[in-house]
Amino acid sequence: MKQSGTSALLQGAVQDLASGVASALRGGGHPSREPLDAPLRPTGDLDLAAARVLGADLLLPGVLDHTPPPGARELDLARRAFDAYPPPATAAPTVAWSHWALGRALHRVTGPSGTAPAPGRVPEPGPEPDASWLTGAPWPSLTHHLAVLAPLALPVEDCALTRVARGRTLDVARGFVRAVRRRDWYQAAGAGRWLTVLPDVPHTLGLPGGLDFVELMGGGDSRVLLQVRAARLIGSGVTV
Amino acid sequence: MTDTRLVHTVGARALEWLWAHRDGFRLEPDVDPEVGFLERFKPVGELGVICSVLFREGVAGSRQARLARGLLDHAWREVLDGGRMLLRGQHKEPLSPIPWEVYLPFKELGYDLPDLERHALLNHRLDSWAALETKPNRRLGLSAFQRRSGLTPRPHEQEALAATWLARTPEPWTVEGHIAYDVTHTVFHLTRWGEDPDGLPARLADYLAAWLPVWLDDWRDLRHWDLLGELLVVDACLPRPTFDEAAWEAFAGAQQPDGAMPAVRGLPATDDAQELFDVVYHPTLVAAFASTLATSRALSDLAHAS
Repeated sequence: MKQSGTSALLQGAVQDLASGVASALRGGGHPSREPLDAPLRPTGDLDLAAARVLGADLLLPGVLDHTPPPGARELDLARRAFDAYPPPATAAPTVAWSHWALGRALHRVTGPSGTAPAPGRVPEPGPEPDASWLTGAPWPSLTHHLAVLAPLALPVEDCALTRVARGRTLDVARGFVRAVRRRDWYQAAGAGRWLTVLPDVPHTLGLPGGLDFVELMGGGDSRVLLQVRAARLIGSGVTV
Repeated sequence: MTDTRLVHTVGARALEWLWAHRDGFRLEPDVDPEVGFLERFKPVGELGVICSVLFREGVAGSRQARLARGLLDHAWREVLDGGRMLLRGQHKEPLSPIPWEVYLPFKELGYDLPDLERHALLNHRLDSWAALETKPNRRLGLSAFQRRSGLTPRPHEQEALAATWLARTPEPWTVEGHIAYDVTHTVFHLTRWGEDPDGLPARLADYLAAWLPVWLDDWRDLRHWDLLGELLVVDACLPRPTFDEAAWEAFAGAQQPDGAMPAVRGLPATDDAQELFDVVYHPTLVAAFASTLATSRALSDLAHAS
């Protein structure tokens, strides 16, 4: 029971963080009415774990143009989550990529043109993890993994993972259809976000309507809402 | 790459079951008028269409060819009483296209019923026949059947096609079971039940090549064997069939030792032979159909490659 109680608490903390990011992304070019830089409060293990789950998307408003910069709390959380959870050498590739993506986002928002509220540049993360494991993955598992790594679906992101994804647009589109059919809204939203940065998406997919459908059916989950809003912003031409 | 033997075996076993249970194809001459005498023609019509495909493709093997011919003879002589039941149905419902639809595959194989053809010719002249309200893919099927009969389709097939779900290539994530059946039947009619894959316009073939793998994956996981079988037929009608390995293996795995193919999940628990037949005959016919077309395409692809 303790396990499930902890799990529920963590899910609640992730939802809170995701909800804040989703709010900041709302409205595209307009500043959020709910700024992320709420007064700092003490953060515990639960917040750190939640930050690790959300990963680089915690800083997404600061990465995309025309969205409010991340608040001091989010930046602090992101920094500490990055330091607290270095992936072991045996980590699953998605874990390694997720950590790398968080480092990349920290480097972006703390750089000279970054939007971080406090000084202190975070260096480039280490070398990219391996992406070859994804090259031959069947389209259902490709989509599953990419949805987990949706924080890397950014307009100008160029890394080994995005290069693999760019060569498999139809497979990701199939994965989007599969996820919607199976009512896996989180995976559908993540795949939908990837499709906004991939070339030659089949027009018969009906992606804009599909994203609206995902929001309508699964938008009660803040993580779904975050991905859908990110997809819309990126699809509308917002850059980093 | 799917094992062609596995695909072929599914069809051979399905045909054995159909032959062993051929008495299940029967009409109910004394049926309640509210139900309609023509309701029971559907299984016979499907048997005629699919056995004529088995014959035409000629890849099933000599025993299977004999069984298919035997089933057609049985249906014509025993079930349709040499065609007299078709006429009786036509007299009960003069405007119904069903007797003529059932008749056409038999006529193409040499069975003859001139009186029924006169009904079809008259009906074809009537505006009422062209105006019958039907689902768009069935309207397309009626137009295709008119062309096969040497009649000018009313409406033209292009016009009928335009009203179907598939012709509009809508969002593939909206497909539910009933829409998927509309798609499969539109493809059957366009390709003359697999005989003419070129009958599928390139635009629609591209659409299906993109999204069919998702639907195969979905209905395989749902263990909806009847629909999965029809989708495997569609695959065999595409310019480049995938012969989806996972789908074929699951489909073959669902088939019972006696060749029966469950409709969804497993066989129903019933001791009523007719009730069981009514549930199983269609997916088993579809299994024979999908197997025959896929085997034929695989062999012809092999011949072209060598």
